[in-house]
Parts: sequence; C-alpha cells; structure tokens
Amino acid sequence: MAALRDGDFAALQILLKAPSKDAVRQLCQECFSSPPAALGPLAQRACPGLAVSAEEAEQLVSALHNLTRHVVYRGLTGAEDILRLFPENFHQNLKNLLTKIILENISAWRNEAQASQISLPRLVDMDWRVDIKTSSDSIVRMAVPTCLLQLKIQEDAALCGNNPVVSALTVELSKETLDTMLEGLGRIRDQLSAVANK
Amino acid sequence: MGLLNFTREPVPEAVSADMHNLNQLSAQQFSALTEVLFRFLTEPKEVERFLTQLTDFATMNKISLGPLKNIVKSILLVPNGALKRNLSSEQVRADFIALGLSEEKASYFAEQWKVNSPTLTRLAVGQTLMINQLIDMEWKFGVTAGSSELEKVGSIFLQLKLVVKKGSQLENVYVELTLPQFYSFLHEMERVKTSLESFS
Repeated sequence: MAALRDGDFAALQILLKAPSKDAVRQLCQECFSSPPAALGPLAQRACPGLAVSAEEAEQLVSALHNLTRHVVYRGLTGAEDILRLFPENFHQNLKNLLTKIILENISAWRNEAQASQISLPRLVDMDWRVDIKTSSDSIVRMAVPTCLLQLKIQEDAALCGNNPVVSALTVELSKETLDTMLEGLGRIRDQLSAVANK
Repeated sequence: MGLLNFTREPVPEAVSADMHNLNQLSAQQFSALTEVLFRFLTEPKEVERFLTQLTDFATMNKISLGPLKNIVKSILLVPNGALKRNLSSEQVRADFIALGLSEEKASYFAEQWKVNSPTLTRLAVGQTLMINQLIDMEWKFGVTAGSSELEKVGSIFLQLKLVVKKGSQLENVYVELTLPQFYSFLHEMERVKTSLESFS
C-alpha cells in the first residue's frame, strides 16, 4: 500500500499538460490498477501523450498511484474528505477534476482491491453428478448411488498476475460422507445467522 | 457335481476331501469353527487374530494346523463367491451340499450366512473403488478486518480444508469461499442429497 509523499502533489500538477479530461480519467484508472512494479512501463507509455520527460512521467504516475490507492485504503467516500487531502496552493480546477474522477471510480476500485486481496485458493465454480454403481470386482450386482463433485479452484490472484491458474478437483462422496458434510455446512449456516443477528 | 451358484470355475479337487473331513467334526466343533470364520469375514483386517484363533481351535480339538488351514481355505471359497454374487442362504446351503458337506452342517452355515450377510455386503460395497474419496472436511470462518489495500474491510470469509484420498495417500485441499458462494454450495449439496436419497 502506497502512502502519500510530499512530492506527490507537486508531481500531480503535471496533469495540467494533459490533452483532455478523458486522458486524465484514463490515466487515473490505469495508475490505480497497476501494481507498483508495472508503473515504470506505464510511465513510458504515458510520456508522449503528456509531452513531458521520462522522469516527470514517472513521478506523475507514481503520485497518481499513491493518491488513488490512498483514498481507497482510507475508505474516503465524500468529496470533502478527498478535497481536504490536497495542499492549499494546489490548482483549483485540477483538484476538482481529480476529486470528481476519484468519486466516480471509488466503488469499482474498492471492489477491485477486495477481489485481488490475498487469500487461500478460491472456489470459482462447482459442478456435481450422481452416479449409480451397478457392479464392481467386489460385488457383481449392486445399486449404490454416489456423488461426484468437481470444484474449480483458482490459485491466489496475486501470485499468478494476469494468468490465474485454475485447477479442477473431482472428489467422490458416498451418501454417508455427504450427510456428514451437510451437517457441518448446516452448522456453519447456523453460526453465520447467529453472527448476523447480533 | 452339478452347477454351483458361487462360482462358474471348476472347484479344486482338494475341496471334496476337505468337506469329507469337515463332516467328521461334531456339531459343536463345526459351530466353533464357523464362528471363527465369520469373525474373520466381518473383520478381514484382523489376520493375526484369525490365525491365533485357528491355532487354538487346532490345539483344542487335536487337529493338525496344516490340514485345518486347507479345510478353511476350501470353506472360504463359498462365502467369498456368495458375497460377490449376492447369493441367498438357500443357494449357499445348496452349494455346500453339492460340494459334499452334510445337510445339517450346510444348513447351519447357511443360517450363519443369513445373519452376517448385511454386514458382509456393507463391507464389500465399502471396498468398491472410489476416485479421490472425500475423507474429511474441516472449516473455519471469520471476518477480514483490514488489508494492505483497504484499511477497513469487514467482509466474511469461509475456509474449507478437504482431506482427499488420492490412491493410498491423503491430500489436503484448501479453498476459500465468499458468503454467497457458501450459500450456493450448501444449496447444491442439498440438491445432491435429495438426488441420492431418491435412488437409495
């Protein structure tokens, strides 16, 4: 998580050289979504559009990243809170524009942060099938129902970057196992209701 | 020998002689031996115990252990085949008689078969191949209070640890679910239960 630094607001004023409001909007979104490691290349791409030196582009991109991430981290939702972040002598129109853009995106950005949170591998999909076993080497004739459950599990997004690894695990459950599992899941549901009702 | 129920293959020659020897046992001795056999069949992992009990039986009844083991091997052919083919006790009785066992002893064994077959069937079903069998499930749920990207979060997470048997090894699989996913999962599992019950 990036913290706001002193030079950041000075760097933000470079945005005054942006060709349009949409360009600023675009840049804000890209700076928020980019992980710190990818800011360098992003700055290089932004350079020509802004007609600034490579060094200035880097400072700007870094500052925008820090600002947007800081707002999301603190959970600021009001225009007042965001405006308050800027120093007194900051360009008025730019300040208002940036605040407006941030407010437009804050909800989506928050969701994005939550979705890319570290976690254990996540369940992304689940399918099931019920089979009837009719014969085996231990019993020639039987009619035993069994359940096949396929879980699609995605590894931690942060580790995989843009290519999340999804693995499929197929598990077999007998009726007894399923009953025990449902008992456990039921207990979870009851505890969740208890927590929700507090 | 006519057609047997418990097997389609020809029976080893020694079996007739073994049955003849069995007929020489008293009713009491046969009953004791049958008990040892069924105890083994219902708990097939207790091999040591089975051998000990056979040795004791041999000693108590002044029979040599070697021939006794052969006799036991012959007897066990029938219940093993009967289990595979879901034979009734009448069929088991008929097979023993066809092999040369006395009517009295055949009826007695068939009776014990009837008593023990639910347990034995359950055991056989339990031995049937299962792919990646789910052995155990552990869970915990909690609240994410904050993260490096979000100071205050307050969202509920659920973590499951599934213990899966892959071949002869156990593997742990860890999964995290969001709350909506959990409810959806629970709903699907209830549907599976309904489906399994309708086929039982």
